[in-house]
Amino acid sequence: MMTDGTVITLISIGVTLLFMLGVPVFLVIASWVVGCSFVLGLTLDNMGAELLNVFNKGFALLAMPLFILTGDLINKSGIARRLSDFAYACLGWIRGGLAMASLGACGLFAAISGSNSATTATIGSMLHPEMVKGGYDERFSAATAAAGGTVGIIIPPSIIFIVYGFLLNLPISDLFVAGILPGALMVIGMQLACWLICWANGWGYLIQLKLNRVLKTAFGAWLGFFAIGLVLWGIYTGKFSPTEAAGVTVGFCIIAGLLSWFANHVLHMDMARDLSEKSYAEMLVVEGFTLREIPGITMRSAQITGVLAPLIAISVVMQQILSLLGAQAVITDFLTSMGGYYPVLLASMAIVFVSGMVLESLPVTIILAPILAPIAASVGVDPIHFSVIFLVGASIGFITPPYGLNLYVASGVTGVPYFRLLRYTVPYLAALIGVWLLVAVTPELALALLPNR
Amino acid sequence: MSNFGDIWAILSAAFAQDAWALRNAMKSDATWILGFIVAIAGGWAIAMIYKRVPLLDRHLERTFMVMSYLAIALIIFWGVVDRFVFSNQQPWSTTIPPLLFMIMAWFGATYNVRLRSHLSFMEFRSRLSRKGQMACLCLDNVLWMAFAVIVIVTTARAAALSASNFQIVLGTDNVMQWWFLLTAPFAFLLMAARVVENVYEDLENYRNGNELIQKTVIGGGE
Repeated sequence: MMTDGTVITLISIGVTLLFMLGVPVFLVIASWVVGCSFVLGLTLDNMGAELLNVFNKGFALLAMPLFILTGDLINKSGIARRLSDFAYACLGWIRGGLAMASLGACGLFAAISGSNSATTATIGSMLHPEMVKGGYDERFSAATAAAGGTVGIIIPPSIIFIVYGFLLNLPISDLFVAGILPGALMVIGMQLACWLICWANGWGYLIQLKLNRVLKTAFGAWLGFFAIGLVLWGIYTGKFSPTEAAGVTVGFCIIAGLLSWFANHVLHMDMARDLSEKSYAEMLVVEGFTLREIPGITMRSAQITGVLAPLIAISVVMQQILSLLGAQAVITDFLTSMGGYYPVLLASMAIVFVSGMVLESLPVTIILAPILAPIAASVGVDPIHFSVIFLVGASIGFITPPYGLNLYVASGVTGVPYFRLLRYTVPYLAALIGVWLLVAVTPELALALLPNR
Repeated sequence: MSNFGDIWAILSAAFAQDAWALRNAMKSDATWILGFIVAIAGGWAIAMIYKRVPLLDRHLERTFMVMSYLAIALIIFWGVVDRFVFSNQQPWSTTIPPLLFMIMAWFGATYNVRLRSHLSFMEFRSRLSRKGQMACLCLDNVLWMAFAVIVIVTTARAAALSASNFQIVLGTDNVMQWWFLLTAPFAFLLMAARVVENVYEDLENYRNGNELIQKTVIGGGE
């Protein structure tokens, strides 16, 4: 007669096989939950009730769909385009300026949206054709979009920070603030790597740095800056919760998009004209969208939420079973036996890195964060600092094969085959790992803007 | 009581709209048999309706998703405006949106089953032989259907429990929670229909020599 432990091990091996066979991650976790529930004699009604309650329990989790929608709204309205124009005007005079601007635009886009794939898809589809025209290798251009998207989940607002805070009961606003400096460092680190490669290969043509152009594009991006300021001000001052900040940003983007379209229509503006031909007054408004287009934009966001939200729900049930099994205690014993602060931190980082190679960041966070975070806390790592270490690691997973989601997205929007762009992600990967280690050994980078910690 | 008797008890309680009797009747194991029948027969029937009414096929889940999404955004946005401008806040502005999120999530899950855009690791599957790929697709369909049966039964029980306890949505006077909870088994019934559609599509693709596994992008739509 097999023991429960043996049966659960067999179930775990079985679901790993399912995963390798390409069964959706949601079903893989659900199969494990159902299998373990039978072995442990738990009623499946618990799972059904939990699948309903997960959403009821957390108002905070609502920020996730709203920030996804924000990303789609700023993309469709043309605000994202204006942000990238501004980044290019600032950096176009440096060798590789367009590529660096692409990374900068990713950072700006990430400061309004909260999604890595949305960042990659938006900036990649906008700037890839221009980069190729500008003499960059198309594989490098696609890799730049993929790498730039990683900051999407670190620079606040961030969908994964919301999930992390929800799962570990940490204040999401604190997590958002903690992500600001590491996110900015990630952008700078990648820009440095980008500059080195472009300098070595002589890629990209240079444009003159003109104050007028910088000012004009900055003026044209005012809606984007306003949205960024609104989110950061609201959360930092505590005027509204992250969910409310997301709701306000969605409302702002919808109003800005509708009014812009109306202004364009009434004033017969030609938004397709080049920046240099536009007056400051014309730069006030963006392309915008009509009321009829809103359901279509919302639908895209809803489809993404329809993938992520069920995964979170089923993972909460999985966590409960993991707790019942005492899995956390086993891993804690293993990791704590390795020694103190740094060995545990390094082992946790290694686990996150390897998991990120085969899993998307959401399952990595849902499965590993509740296990690793208490262990890290037990050796003295600040929970907010650890969240940043964990999520920077998870974000690096977006560009590590075989399962690097951003690589797939970048490949999809640029048409560069997946395997061809891998080589060009290596410098970015090196830069990101460098920043990751720096964040790990320097808690101040995550905590400096949080005076209460 | 026999399984047949138990199923009859569930159906008669449901038709009598007696939540207490329904909740008690659904405790029996016959609920699983009924859930299985509902998922398979109901799923097949809805798939047939989809075939005859393409408008429903295209828009049913999408309508639920978009309406609930926009309602969430509107309620939260207005909640902030109401607080800052009018120094007022509706008590339900924080309790209704999570329920709408639940609706959006499960209808979204169903829609993604149809689009086959749930997150998965496709590297090995895409390299398998045609027969291997077909076997994997069958495996997906069986697992989705089994999960739909489980969730239809368990969430219907949870909704019946809520109805029998007269649970009201916090911050409201007369909005019942089960109105929202009942959308979950309905969403999974639609999921069963999507699985039936996928089975037909896979068989057709296999017979006609079409590509079995197509690349999908999350959020890429149809």
